[in-house]
Amino acid sequence: MEIKRREFLKLLGGASGAIALGSFGCNQFIDVPDKIIEIAKNGAGIESWKNTICALCPGGCGIKVRLIDGIPVYIKGNPIYPVNQGGMCPLGHSALELLFNPDRVKSPLKKIGLPGGGKWESLNWDEALNIISKKIIELRNEGRPHQVVFLDGSNQHGLMKDHIERFMKAYGSPNYFQFPSIKNDAVPYHLLQGNSKIPSYDFLNAKYVLSFGINYLEESYSPVYYTKLYSYLRGSTGEGRTRFVHIDSRMSLTSANADRWIPITPGTYGALALGIAFVLIKEKLIDANFIKSHTSGYEDWVDKNGIMHLGYKNNVLANYYPERVFQITGVQSETILELARELGNNHPSLVLGGDGSSNNTNGTFSQMAVHSLNALLGNFEKDGGIFYVDETPLKNLPHFELDDIAKQGIEQNPFGNSLDMAFPFADFSIQTLIQNILAEKPYPISVLFIYKGNPLFQTLNHHEFIEALKKIPLVVSFDSFINETNEYANIILPDHTFLEQWNIISNVPSVGFSHIGIQQPVIEPIYDTRSSADILIELGNKAYGNNTKPFPFEDYVSEIKYRVEGVYNSGEGAIVTEGLKGSWLEFLNQRGWHIGTYDSFDEFWNLLLERGGWWNPIRKKKGFSEIFNTPTRKFEFYSQVLKNRIDDIVKKKGIDNSTHDIEFVLGRLNIKTRGDVIFLPHHEPIPYDDGMPIYLTTFQPITNRDGHASNLPLMQEMFGFLTRHYWTSWVELNPETASAYGISDDDWVWIESVNGSIKAKAKIHPGVMPSVAAVPFGLGHTSYGRYAKDYGVNPNSIMKNLYDTINGIPATQSTKVKISKAK
Amino acid sequence: MSKKIDYRNEIDATLYKPIYETGKGFYITVGIFLLLFLWALFMYITQVWFGLGVTGMNQPVSWGFYIVNFVFFIGISHAGTLISAILRLSKAEWRRPITRMAEVITAIVLAIGGLHPILDLGRPDRVLNIFTVGRLQSPLLWDVTSITAYFTASTVYLYLPMIPDIAKLRDKGGKFTWFYKFASWGWQGTEHQKKVLNRAINILMVMVIPIAISVHTVISYIFSMTLQPGWHSTIFGPYFVVGAIFSGIAALLIVMIVFRKVFHLEDYLKKVHFQYLGTLLLIMSLLWFYFTFSEYLTGIFAAEPHEMHIILYKFTGPYAIFFWMMVICNFLIPVIILGFKRFKTITGVLIASIAVVIGMWLERLNIVVPSLANPRMELTVGMYVPSIVEWALFIGGISAFVLGFVLFSKFFPLISIWETEEGRKESVKEVEKRVKSYLPGGEIITK
Amino acid sequence: MSKWAMVIDLDKCTGCGDCIAACKIENNIAIVDPEEANSGRVMFWIEMVSVYEGEFPNIKIKRFPKPCFHCENPPCTKVCPVHATYKNDEGLVGQIYHRCIGCRYCMVACPYTVKVFNWYEPEWPVEFRKCFNPDVSVRTKGVVEKCSFCAHRLIKVKEEVDLEGRDIQDGDYMPACAESCPADAIYFGDLENKESKVYNLAKSSRAKREMENLGTEPKVVYLSKRE
Ligand SMILES: Nc1nc2c(c(=O)[nH]1)N[C@H]1C(S)=C(S)[C@@H](COP(=O)(O)OP(=O)(O)OC[C@H]3O[C@@H](n4cnc5c(=O)[nH]c(N)nc54)[C@H](O)[C@@H]3O)O[C@H]1N2
Ligand SMILES: Nc1nc2c(c(=O)[nH]1)N[C@H]1C(S)=C(S)[C@@H](COP(=O)(O)OP(=O)(O)OC[C@H]3O[C@@H](n4cnc5c(=O)[nH]c(N)nc54)[C@H](O)[C@@H]3O)O[C@H]1N2
Ligand code: SF4
Ligand code: SF4
Ligand code: SF4
Ligand code: SF4
Ligand code: SF4
Ligand SMILES: [Mo]
Repeated sequence: MEIKRREFLKLLGGASGAIALGSFGCNQFIDVPDKIIEIAKNGAGIESWKNTICALCPGGCGIKVRLIDGIPVYIKGNPIYPVNQGGMCPLGHSALELLFNPDRVKSPLKKIGLPGGGKWESLNWDEALNIISKKIIELRNEGRPHQVVFLDGSNQHGLMKDHIERFMKAYGSPNYFQFPSIKNDAVPYHLLQGNSKIPSYDFLNAKYVLSFGINYLEESYSPVYYTKLYSYLRGSTGEGRTRFVHIDSRMSLTSANADRWIPITPGTYGALALGIAFVLIKEKLIDANFIKSHTSGYEDWVDKNGIMHLGYKNNVLANYYPERVFQITGVQSETILELARELGNNHPSLVLGGDGSSNNTNGTFSQMAVHSLNALLGNFEKDGGIFYVDETPLKNLPHFELDDIAKQGIEQNPFGNSLDMAFPFADFSIQTLIQNILAEKPYPISVLFIYKGNPLFQTLNHHEFIEALKKIPLVVSFDSFINETNEYANIILPDHTFLEQWNIISNVPSVGFSHIGIQQPVIEPIYDTRSSADILIELGNKAYGNNTKPFPFEDYVSEIKYRVEGVYNSGEGAIVTEGLKGSWLEFLNQRGWHIGTYDSFDEFWNLLLERGGWWNPIRKKKGFSEIFNTPTRKFEFYSQVLKNRIDDIVKKKGIDNSTHDIEFVLGRLNIKTRGDVIFLPHHEPIPYDDGMPIYLTTFQPITNRDGHASNLPLMQEMFGFLTRHYWTSWVELNPETASAYGISDDDWVWIESVNGSIKAKAKIHPGVMPSVAAVPFGLGHTSYGRYAKDYGVNPNSIMKNLYDTINGIPATQSTKVKISKAK
Repeated sequence: MSKKIDYRNEIDATLYKPIYETGKGFYITVGIFLLLFLWALFMYITQVWFGLGVTGMNQPVSWGFYIVNFVFFIGISHAGTLISAILRLSKAEWRRPITRMAEVITAIVLAIGGLHPILDLGRPDRVLNIFTVGRLQSPLLWDVTSITAYFTASTVYLYLPMIPDIAKLRDKGGKFTWFYKFASWGWQGTEHQKKVLNRAINILMVMVIPIAISVHTVISYIFSMTLQPGWHSTIFGPYFVVGAIFSGIAALLIVMIVFRKVFHLEDYLKKVHFQYLGTLLLIMSLLWFYFTFSEYLTGIFAAEPHEMHIILYKFTGPYAIFFWMMVICNFLIPVIILGFKRFKTITGVLIASIAVVIGMWLERLNIVVPSLANPRMELTVGMYVPSIVEWALFIGGISAFVLGFVLFSKFFPLISIWETEEGRKESVKEVEKRVKSYLPGGEIITK
Repeated sequence: MSKWAMVIDLDKCTGCGDCIAACKIENNIAIVDPEEANSGRVMFWIEMVSVYEGEFPNIKIKRFPKPCFHCENPPCTKVCPVHATYKNDEGLVGQIYHRCIGCRYCMVACPYTVKVFNWYEPEWPVEFRKCFNPDVSVRTKGVVEKCSFCAHRLIKVKEEVDLEGRDIQDGDYMPACAESCPADAIYFGDLENKESKVYNLAKSSRAKREMENLGTEPKVVYLSKRE
């Protein structure tokens, strides 16, 4: 066979390497790495590219991996993948450091000696899986499958969730929990709209975007997607372009890029939202029609029993006049007026809130207040407003008949439910888990599976958490590294990294079209690791014995293929294509989109692998009754969902103990307000009661998603690339605050709460509210490999053990501290 | 050396003494400084091994002590040859006991200073690239050229006037006669030889002055040819030359005072020498102030933001203490001491000279570091703290100087014997003649 | 001859830092020891500059990524004693690592402070050595390095268009940072090509060059509505 020279040379990605060496001054004997000498000897390497999905954060970007002789050497964004369109964030770029990380767990490990003692013994896979299957089969035989708890920290929006869910259900346990949980995040929407979907925002058609805390350009659900939207809008010239205003206690990337940044006292943005509502209502800048026909609880109302109830409007008008809101938030009354007028006069305008910034004791209510502005403006299902994407047409897993053990197991009270009335809407809370394990209630836990999570580092109450972990007879972690939580595991089952693994990412929350991204191995596993999904198939089938198989698949990829058939069969959408860029916006505007046709599923599948994903920009328009799933089928300013639940709690508790009246329940839920206001968006003050002067807030820099990038040296180096702090934590202080405490730039500062103190380097700049100490979250690891351990500090270690008692999210923004210059 | 050699009867016995008698002091001095030097050498080896990371330099302060010391040492080296040449040229009779010492300082310090850029290289193993692929357009190459030229000229200029003295030592016999014999080049003191020698010295003396001035001008060009605020200045050439002569005289005075004491040279180095040199130092101090003042005034008056930023940083930033110390050392102290007869004693001159040497070193530091620490770009200000290695090499440089000087004094007289003799024999007459020739009517009288 | 240039639209750039990461990975740039990094020896070929402007609470921030500006009239190459940094016919300012003697004169001469130095021998665990970009040589201790405009990519592009028998078109030659920027804020191309994006953008009224008064003629142009 004759290969044309041209084609042949094209294959030789490395050929030019040799030339590059010559002209760019590479000395053959000193400067060249061995590998290049090797390649020069063997002739040039063969270059190829493979598409997959980045799994370093929930953002779900499509990426292209460059391989030379099969070894990944570079990653870039997949230009035809619609979420990121070739863009990436720094974290994604360092994925190769994850793959080749020297601290990866290279074979199954078994703990020897004391928990947390750091001593491990290598096992082979059979030994490791035998220990686990023996234990879980035993539990099943004893009728205790519900004593297995599965904690999933992957935070990914894909098929793995369904896969684990099926494993747990078939096995017979109701105890599969995601930590962090999208469902918890969505509680405010649930309370107002009756559904737990994260909305998407039509930035492209909005004239004005007001965001509360949510740092969508740097973090949030999909930073690159939002960056694309933002930069597109910035690139469009002319007068009418979108104006961005961001409210935050510090100057995050989103604040820095906004047209205007409004600094605010932490924990008060609900009050500001209601202050803005006050002006909107007063100046009649609201969408009266929408309010009238599609909301309830806006005006005062009379219930079935003839009792008069307070409505949203009168509550706002009575309590949130600008002067008072200024007292609470530190935002000047004039500013509140300006914001409200801009918001009310620039149609369409959008209001965004949520995510990490709402991790506060009053998070749910604050976010309800923010989201209620969208209702005042009638922002639902219209251009430049809020909308909801369709589910992807993936095929459901084949039906499987549970056996009796499983049926009994899943009937048990889920372990994630609080023993008392706390966290009534929490899907799951770490705090509940800890309390229940320690109390062995409602039953003891026998096996804990942890998948891709590090709750011990991420959450509060570390001390009790460790005690809880020690109490569990068998803790198994599916992870690629030994992290703080895994230090207390009995067995670590090394997972492939995402570059060696199959998965499907489906509908990243808040991205404006339904899509799936295919994550495929770009390289054979480089160590003796196994896909956690495959292990679950093996364990699940083993637990059932030989005849019945909950997973009728050879492996996870077969399962994925099976499910993707649904997409093929639906005939909807299309595999992502070239030429995306030009027409992307059009697609987003849902005009003229032709659907691809494929001759066979195999063709579809192969094309999917080649291009990296599928998407469907055409969205079914949704009726209000579909998006407002409340008892009234309307947007409920007055949350019946909340009211009903609290009534339920009072009723239930009242049966066995008559003292559990509403007062008691509200006390337990940390709700200070009384009367109807409880069920309305309102500002619930944060219980700072220790007389400390400074607010401690945390934020997640773009380089280090929740701290799991701390084992990537490039991300450690770039951790503070904006402030020039490398591999270390810093504390941002306003010059006013700094001078009050005699602190100058780069001084070491003690940050002390009632729970302890941490030390960080001062970064003094005017981009942070006075009386706020902002510390980046992500460092301070005490485990997690050579690049992570002992660099920087973890602010969680000094935080008070407080939660949003409605949705169970740790209140990581509710601690006050004092600061002093460290000598 | 043996006591057999008889030098005691010579009029200039004091000048021979250190060569033929070795005291404990000599061994102790050599021992201490040799140790310091070896320590520095070891530190340098670690630097070559590990890389320049062992220094305190960084980005943006990518030059530090080595360049500071380079400029400083080269400045000191101006003491000698230049001063001696000027004094010779102007036929200043009081020069006779000074020139040798001055020239020795030049030769040794120039060698030390000239090596500093190599200490500073990240890849000293590639230093020969300068010759194989050198780019003459680079001010660094100008430096290499002018320093080499100056070094050659000044060693020859040191050596030539030494020949008659070496011949004297050869004739005395003793351990190193073979060496003296070789080095004296068959000097017999014939009239012809004297004529040739004088001619050679005269030619060199004229040549060496522009070379010396060029050297320091070119060194200043390293800085002023860049666009860095604080560096990009037309005044730098003369400013550096003045600074160099200034520090050179101070160094010379220190050396003179120390050796006068140690070698008991009171009879040779008289008060008048210190008076005259002291006055010269005072003049240089004023000149230095004039240049410094002009440099900063133009900067402040025009107030170009970057320039101004650096000036303010020098005045008030973390290095301000060094700036004000510099002003005190280079201006206040010398002017007060040397400006008042009462303080202008030998001790006074010594104090002033030490102040000036320190002050001039600080000046070099103030030029190199603050400018680099404040790049034009809006970056954070850099910080530079020298490491132990850099201190070691600084101390090593000073040790090398002391060692060089002490060893020189072990083998050669520190004051030119033949020139002293010549002075005794001929000067008085010659000067009388000369002075008369200056006077009105002088011509007529001789006729 | 082409004249390669970069245009960075600061109205679009969010300061996300992806250009920095892309550049580090593409060019095998060493990651230095943490303490070293914090004492001013961190190695970025493109880095982020932030300047706060205004009085609290009306703060604005000026932020821009700063690669080598590949000056038409580069002060850095003029001072090099050994021709280890030079400007080529296409306006790229390059470094010859194996010739550099490490005098750092070019570093002090660069008014934009874009050059970095290998203070120590760069080190990688063996695992990471596997994923070096084979097109870019790895540097040793004691030499200066800086943004090359990803010149190795140009060489490759030239080869490719040669094979295809055509000229280089706008967009063929893209440095890693420009290719990855999620805000599409970095444009790259040929100033001699009147059709190219950079040619037109560089003439826009928003175009600014850093410290134009120095006469360095930087070939990195910033676009910004703000003064
Ligand atoms: N103070 C403060 N605390 C916070 C926050 C804050 O902003 N401030 N944020 C909170 C929020 S919003 C969240 S979401 C939580 C995050 O909580 P988690 O999701 O638990 O945090 P991560 O650190 O991301 O844990 C990821 C783990 O996955 C492992 N891993 C990485 N790649 C793979 C892989 O391919 N396979 C497997 N099996 N494992 C892998 C990593 O080794 C790591 O141990 O933190 C919360 N805590
Ligand atoms: N690059 C990157 N992307 C990520 C992540 C990451 O760590 N890095 N994490 C992912 C995950 S799990 C999550 S949950 C999201 C989190 O996404 P975000 O919610 O955007 O993240 P946070 O950093 O928790 O909070 C954002 C900002 O809220 C501010 N803030 C804190 N308290 C208050 C307050 O009371 N009021 C107001 N107005 N502002 C406040 C903080 O200063 C911070 O700047 O991001 C996701 N995406
Ligand atoms: S935003 Fe998330 S998914 Fe996208 S590249 Fe960055 S880390 Fe990867
Ligand atoms: S990658 Fe683009 S948006 Fe991000 S900092 Fe660089 S230029 Fe700006
Ligand atoms: S920016 Fe600096 S390094 Fe780059 S060409 Fe200009 S002077 Fe040289
Ligand atoms: S450091 Fe290297 S490239 Fe820079 S001037 Fe010196 S020899 Fe030239
Ligand atoms: S052009 Fe290439 S070398 Fe220069 S900053 Fe961009 S990625 Fe780095
Ligand atoms: Mo999260």
